[in-house]
Amino acid sequence: MSIPSSFVRPTTRPDEIHRLLTDVERYNPSNTVLLEDYLARQCANPDSTSNHDLMANLALLKLYQFNPEMLDHDVIRRILAKALISAIPADFNLCLYLLTDEVCKDASIAKLLALRESLERAQFVKFWRDMYDPEDEEEESVVDGIAGFDNGLRKLILAEITATYQKIPLASVQDMVNLDEEAVLRLAKENGWAVDGPVISLPAKSEVKASVISENVKFEQLTKMLSAANDI
Amino acid sequence: MYQETYDDEEFVGNIDVVADSYANADEIEDAGDIDDEELLMQAQAGVQSIPEQVRTFLGYLHRNLQSGKVNDLTYNYEMQFPRLSEKYYAKASWPEPQYVAALVNDDGLFLILYRELYYRHIYSRLHPSLEIRFRSFENYCDLFNHILNSDGPTDLELPNQWLWDIVDEFIYQFQSFCTHRSRLNKRSEEEIALLKENSQVWSTYSVLNVLYSLIQKSNITEQLRAQQQGGDAAQVAGEFGGRLLYKMLGYFSIVGLVRVHCMLGDYTLALQTLENVELGNSRALYTRVMACHVSVYYYVGFAYLMMGRYADATQAFVHILTFVSRTKQYHQRQQVDAASKKAEQMYALLAIAVSLSPVRVDENIHAYLREKYADQQHRIQRGGEDALDVISELYLFACPKFITPNPPNYEAEVVEPQAYQLRTFLREARLQLVVPTLRSFLKLYTTMGVDRLSGFLEMEPAELKNQLMVYKQRCRQVKWDGGSDLLSGELVPSTDLDFALEMDMIFIAESRVGRRYADWFIRNANKVQDLVVVLENRQKDTIAGKPKVDAVAA
Repeated sequence: MSIPSSFVRPTTRPDEIHRLLTDVERYNPSNTVLLEDYLARQCANPDSTSNHDLMANLALLKLYQFNPEMLDHDVIRRILAKALISAIPADFNLCLYLLTDEVCKDASIAKLLALRESLERAQFVKFWRDMYDPEDEEEESVVDGIAGFDNGLRKLILAEITATYQKIPLASVQDMVNLDEEAVLRLAKENGWAVDGPVISLPAKSEVKASVISENVKFEQLTKMLSAANDI
Repeated sequence: MYQETYDDEEFVGNIDVVADSYANADEIEDAGDIDDEELLMQAQAGVQSIPEQVRTFLGYLHRNLQSGKVNDLTYNYEMQFPRLSEKYYAKASWPEPQYVAALVNDDGLFLILYRELYYRHIYSRLHPSLEIRFRSFENYCDLFNHILNSDGPTDLELPNQWLWDIVDEFIYQFQSFCTHRSRLNKRSEEEIALLKENSQVWSTYSVLNVLYSLIQKSNITEQLRAQQQGGDAAQVAGEFGGRLLYKMLGYFSIVGLVRVHCMLGDYTLALQTLENVELGNSRALYTRVMACHVSVYYYVGFAYLMMGRYADATQAFVHILTFVSRTKQYHQRQQVDAASKKAEQMYALLAIAVSLSPVRVDENIHAYLREKYADQQHRIQRGGEDALDVISELYLFACPKFITPNPPNYEAEVVEPQAYQLRTFLREARLQLVVPTLRSFLKLYTTMGVDRLSGFLEMEPAELKNQLMVYKQRCRQVKWDGGSDLLSGELVPSTDLDFALEMDMIFIAESRVGRRYADWFIRNANKVQDLVVVLENRQKDTIAGKPKVDAVAA
């Protein structure tokens, strides 16, 4: 099964950035601006399949790690917010490893960590509640400036739901993706789900049934034995 | 390129200051009165104090280095040096380099190499002072300057083990310095002042500079790529890379870089660095030095573990642990001791990996794990806070030493990279703990109501549904597909138990592992082959009229 990978060069990565990532130039502090600009472009692009370049963002975090005087909390916030809606769940932690306790104390970043925790535990209802907490005193949201954040996130949540459920109450889906009934019904139509009154039936991705895992021996694995047989 | 980060003359001035502040007060007073004649006598006394056996050894070493006899050097380095260290310098440093200078006609290059051994010995047996740390760095600069910035390639030749040890020790001392520097409460004010003044000493940039320079000078990346594509490595090696010394130093620097990246928490870059180092190839260059071989797999396994790719981590650890246990008897005791220490750590990491994501491993490895970590594994699988405690304990015993790449803020509190990395790792690992708990219940049923299971688990039904989604997500894992890029992989299911939710009903299906035929066929094919060989030999013997060996024996 092929999967989206964070480590393959995305088609949207310019040559200039690619050269920088594969060279010792990645340590040159004067390239910070280049990578920050590139991040801004990633954030402005709402298409969640082509707008995330983890490797470039990790390189930027590394430059901050080496040159703490250049560190910009708002850039880190945006990198983490992008990783939050990445289709690959491991991306977020890979970014975190390059930070420090100090950085995580920043209010926006701390909030993103808490949001991530709800997401990881599939507590989607809690996630939306915290995300748009009316009592939050901060004027700006922690995901400001990330185009298509909500929809990117909904996609991820829907993927989790379809992987687990075959039948689910309409109301549950509404809560989990934070949309009203009308919008969910529209989603159902787009994805071809059957809606039967208050229940949504999802097409089974793979049927759940008992199976026998049999081993898979490739011809190449037997070359040693076969060449020995040739000697006889 | 190297001198840019390192200003020679200014630095030497600072070193003198260090020396003064460290020297015993009495000695400083004496030093003022000593005249030249006394100095000479002191030097002679110093030379005299070197035991005869050591003096002979140094003579051999010097001659073998000059004539480039690598085999003899291997013997000097791997056998004699540790033996003499044990005998004469178990609790002291080797003779002062200034006294040794008299024995080797002030041969500069020899003295640089000798000093490298001298400082390394101090690091391994004694407590290196700040002054020693500074001087050792200065000596490494001299050594790498000689290798990298001479007009042409140096004629120096050294055994692989020695070259590996140089690179490895260089990184170790860097790490040790960073740790030393960050323990602010143990540093005196003078020390902190010195550290502030010499921030370029053991700086991360200077260390990376050395490693990258060695890699570039040797064209090792191009050489490995050519080799992988079936080309001729010698054609792209260039003037420097054609020499074994440069080639091996370049190669070991790649492995060294992997270690540095891991120490800094950059696991993707660590694995990316190994792109052209063919993992799993039994003839790859890293197999030439056991410590290097072990190091490659330790850091690869560790990086995978931190990335949450438990199956890949397991595979890496099992591979190298099997190798270490099978080849112990073929290596020097010293190397085996070092490898065994690392192996113990890897067993601890393996215990974490297989508890979080159970798979079948090699029988011998499995038996050892059971003997050593059965209790811990059981506690991890039971889940809860206790499981996290066990994981933390195993992890702290086995993880590499993490560093902060910059000098600490000498006025603020200390940052602890060790604890931070562990906490971040646990964020991921803790989710994985859902799997064994749920699995143990789901296994018993084919259908089950959510309310019933939530009763067993004493958990709100809504929260249980969330956990079931976490289970689903955790049961897929990215696994390396064997290509040259260690980061790529495919998504594979990592559990034998699947289920689906229909409203409040859980439908469960378990898959079983079928019988494995391949192994049975291969073993029997081998048996038949052996039999054929025996029969053929008998036939030949009969034709040649020789008596049957078996008959004579009987």
